[in-house]
Amino acid sequence: MTENILEIRDLVVHYETDEGCVQAVNNINVIIGKKTILGLVGETGAGKTTTALSILNLVPNPPGIIKSGSIILNGVDVLKLPPKKMEEVRGNDVAMIFQDPMTALNPVMTIGEQIAESVMIHGERSKEKALNRAREMLEQVGIPASRSGDYPHQLSGGMRQRVVIAIALACNPKLLIADEPTTALDVTIQAQILELIKELNRKFDTSMLLITHDLGVIADVCDRVAVMYAGRIVEEGTLEEVFNDTLHPYTEGLFNSLPNLRKRGEELVPIKGMMPDPMNLPKGCAFAPRCPYTIDECTEAVPELKKIGSHLVACRRYEDKNFRLRRNS
Amino acid sequence: MEKPNNVLLEVQDLKKYFDTPKGKLHAVDGVSFTVERGKTLGLVGESGCGKSTAGRCILKLLQPTAGRIIFDGEDITNYSNRKMRRLRTEMQMIFQDPFSSLNPRQNVMQIISEPIYEHKLIRGRKEIEKRTLELMETVGLASRLINTYPHELDGGRRQRIGIARALALKPKLIICDEPVSALDVSIQAQILNLMKRLQKDFGLTYVFITHDLSVVKYFSDDIAVMYLGQVVEKAPADELFENPLHPYTKKLLSAIPLPIVAKDKPKRSLIKGEITSPINLPDECRFNKRCDFRSEVCLERNPELQEVSPNHFVACARVQEFM
Repeated sequence: MTENILEIRDLVVHYETDEGCVQAVNNINVIIGKKTILGLVGETGAGKTTTALSILNLVPNPPGIIKSGSIILNGVDVLKLPPKKMEEVRGNDVAMIFQDPMTALNPVMTIGEQIAESVMIHGERSKEKALNRAREMLEQVGIPASRSGDYPHQLSGGMRQRVVIAIALACNPKLLIADEPTTALDVTIQAQILELIKELNRKFDTSMLLITHDLGVIADVCDRVAVMYAGRIVEEGTLEEVFNDTLHPYTEGLFNSLPNLRKRGEELVPIKGMMPDPMNLPKGCAFAPRCPYTIDECTEAVPELKKIGSHLVACRRYEDKNFRLRRNS
Repeated sequence: MEKPNNVLLEVQDLKKYFDTPKGKLHAVDGVSFTVERGKTLGLVGESGCGKSTAGRCILKLLQPTAGRIIFDGEDITNYSNRKMRRLRTEMQMIFQDPFSSLNPRQNVMQIISEPIYEHKLIRGRKEIEKRTLELMETVGLASRLINTYPHELDGGRRQRIGIARALALKPKLIICDEPVSALDVSIQAQILNLMKRLQKDFGLTYVFITHDLSVVKYFSDDIAVMYLGQVVEKAPADELFENPLHPYTKKLLSAIPLPIVAKDKPKRSLIKGEITSPINLPDECRFNKRCDFRSEVCLERNPELQEVSPNHFVACARVQEFM
């Protein structure tokens, strides 16, 4: 067995709609090692969630089609598994927590039953044992076990997200996918949930894929970062490499857009323009139309993800040895 | 007559209670502040602190339970809807979700020009279309989009429509309720820059309601932090960030995830528990159950906002010990 929990190789996912083909994920490679938390950062429409759904083999089909590639989860290619086997993988090997904890929970079941249900689907025969496990999990995520008879509407948003995390971790998955887990929460509650996620990662040795648009959250929780733009990974490295030795112009643009790095009252530096239409991606680098460093070569061919200095970046400007981003000079 | 001072909006001891089956819900409970012309007040707090209710009371979209709202020297607290109608041209609102706040069956032209028709500001189709195009240019919308519908546009452009519509009546005051929270960071920066530019060009006064402290720091002159219906700290923006005094403000600032990786990055201190129910509140500090500095005095009464240094107001019984 390999050392890596997850290996995504050359994944391509398209949504074929009446209006045309949406190129959501375009040939990406992702590796997550044991106990690692990888942050996948990007804006709306970058393909982050589609990537996550592919790992669970849950891309809605139609219109979604996994065109090519392989996803090796814990040594098994999940894209080749028959549906019955895949059901066993979900929950046991990989679990997902979603952005909105209200819609992820069943409003007419108590939270204890919901955790127990997931335990029973994955092999526990005795309902009593499953309910005990549910109470144990509630304590783990910081909710008193005495509340296991509560319904979701009786809980606050932060507590609901704790329940969702408890369900996801109840079967000790090797990989946890968290899709914007704190976006719907207040900052103080977000801080509590992030702290909990870090603690559980240490305690259960779970690897994690954390999807977010918030670089602050990434800096807080992740070991490694992959920056995604228009269905491709444009930069990948350790947290320190990507934050302190930024290589891709898009990543630089994200940092510049953030208000809290700038002095008060100073004009922010947004990235000009908008994300390209995923039905009609430019021929070369998808970021070229918005990039302040674009030269002719950028529009000719899609740049490959290559090692420049300390980590991986997909930018042709680095063919020039003297090229530096403004942020670094 | 010229007003003796430069204050556009004054809110005095504003209260808004809602009757619920469980008792009185104190959504806004004695909030006071003033906003000068051309300035921005940031109203910050978590869900349920009453910041949006306060914003709606100022515009009289909700009738306050008690207190006074003085807009441009006029006490509008008890104005009827008919009397308010005249003032609607001077006070407008920008909403959080640019999708649900725009009528999906109207095109850009109809959405932006509707308030102009409604208030009969300009007459004649041609003239109104000219004004609409002018507004679109002001907010950075290409004129070719004039016949498109909201669903055809992305979030950033939709928010620009919301801004153009708010500007259509040449207001003095705009209440912005989480105007960039639903947008991606790169688009968020574009909209914030636009709003800042409009403020300079048209001398707008903003009340900026948000939960995002980093946005508010960038944008506001003064900041008021709300907790359970009350302002617990109020100060000029720089002062509040450099020298926060209320334990809640400190925790709130520390909770912001900073997008930096460094050895000397400040460690965050977590706030314990969650916001308590705003129904039937006892007469004690509303933050005491979550506060690290809770003591006897905190339970004696609900502390009032007091000026601890010039323009810096704090509502905490133990504030002297933190200075």
